[in-house]
Formats: sequence, C-alpha cells, structure tokens
Amino acid sequence: MAERHDRRRGRIAATVGVIGELLITAGVLTALFVVYSLWWTNVLADREAKRQGDQVRRHWAASGPGALDTKDGIGFLHVPAMHNGEVLVKPGTGTDVLNEGVAGYYRKPVKSAMPWDKQGNVTLAAHRDGHGAKFHNIHKIGTGDPVVFETRDVWYVYKVFKELKETSRFDVSVLDPVPKESGKTAPGRYLTLTTCTPMYTSDYRYVVWAELVRTEKVDAKRTPPKELR
Amino acid sequence: MYAWIWRHLPGNAWVKALTSLVLVLGIVYLLFQYVFPWAEPLLPFNDVTVDNGMAVAR
Repeated sequence: MAERHDRRRGRIAATVGVIGELLITAGVLTALFVVYSLWWTNVLADREAKRQGDQVRRHWAASGPGALDTKDGIGFLHVPAMHNGEVLVKPGTGTDVLNEGVAGYYRKPVKSAMPWDKQGNVTLAAHRDGHGAKFHNIHKIGTGDPVVFETRDVWYVYKVFKELKETSRFDVSVLDPVPKESGKTAPGRYLTLTTCTPMYTSDYRYVVWAELVRTEKVDAKRTPPKELR
Repeated sequence: MYAWIWRHLPGNAWVKALTSLVLVLGIVYLLFQYVFPWAEPLLPFNDVTVDNGMAVAR
C-alpha cells in the first residue's frame, strides 16, 4: 500500500518535473528569438547593406555619366535626426529587399516617384527593429528636420513638414502623389517615410512627410550639403 | 528530461559537459540559421509597409 502510494507520487513528481523543464525550455527559446530578432538580424543586415552600399559607390566612381543602374540601388538616404548614417535605397518593399538592411521604394500598391521626377511622391519603407532597423529612430524626426537623398550626381535636400505618428496599416493613401493626410493639396516633390509602430510590433504605421527645398550638384569630392555637415 | 539525456551521454562528467555544450551550440545554430528565419514572417512584429491587406507589397 505504502509502496504503491510512493510510486504514484514518484510518477507525479516526474511529470511535474518534465512540464517544468518544458516551460523553462520555452522561456529560453523565446529569449533566443528576441536575441535573434533584435541583434543577430541587425548584424546580418548591416553587413549586407555595407557590402551593397560599397558596391554602389564603387559603381558610381567607376562609371562616367550615363544611364542610372537601378538594380543595385538608386542612392542613399541621410536623415541626421535618426543618427544612423546613410541608408541604401533599393527598388521594392518586399521582406527579401528590406531584410538586407536597406530602405525600399514602393512599387505597389502605389508606385513611388523618383527624386529626379518633376513632381510626385518618393515613398520609402524600412524596418523599425531588426534587419538593420534603418528607421528605428523615426520618432526622433521633427518638423523642419532635413532629409537628404543622395544619388550619383545630385543631393536632393528635403525638409520634413508633417509626421503622422500612428495610422492603419491599410492606409495606402499616405503614398499618394499628393498625400492628403499631410495637408498638401497641390502636386509637389514630396518624400514619404513609412515604418511600423509602436516599436517591436507592427500594429500601426508611422509616416513622415518631407518636401524638396533644393538640389545640389555632387562635386568631385562628394562634399555633402550643409545639412549633413 | 534533461536528467535522462545526461544519464545517457557517454563518458565521465567532463566529457558529458563538453558533449552537452556542443549539443546546445548545435541547437542554437539550427535555430538561428533555419527555425527563426522561417518563423519570423509568420509573427506580426516586422511588417513595415502599408498595403491593401494583400500579401506584402513588393
């Protein structure tokens, strides 16, 4: 009788032990996933972005005036307020593109304009966290801050005029050539940054609009415009 | 569970500890290389684009 009681207690204790070990394992797995998302993907993406960025710059240095090669990337985005250096801009906003630690310009659902177009809206997306987290500090951008788009031959200097701190992920009208929510009603040369918010999730989208104020020709030493100095 | 694995590892305590370490590192490698990249797009943490509810805009 006593022996059977002991054996049953032993089995219950063993079961509880296994459940406990499984719970600990689940906790460790979750922690590892956080390390993966917030650290390891940044390591990989920054390495890849650096490689591709160097390639674009080498390409620019090597090629004389001529057709623009948009496959490798059309230029670099500089946002001093985000304190993250330069961000390579490439075509497309699929995860395969954005996971390389770059910003992508939209091809769908609304096609992005190019900075050199006479008018339109240059629309970009990048990760808030992980995979380079190129727009991590988007909340530090304020009205009046400069955003500079660097192409091979021209610096396009934009000034931020409106932030939309939270909108629906289905709000594609922010990408319109004349984004009404920004308060603009007439066509112009706009630039739109989109990413997810709040940080570490993607419940909503964060949008920043800027407007072109001037362009500067790139000189032989690629001296940056005064906004970046 | 882990006690069972420990008991079934060959060798003395040092060898067991070393084998365990290699096993753990191997599992972490598999997770980082294959499991997490597969799981990540299925989790709602990293969608940054606006779209019309279709698959991720490209």
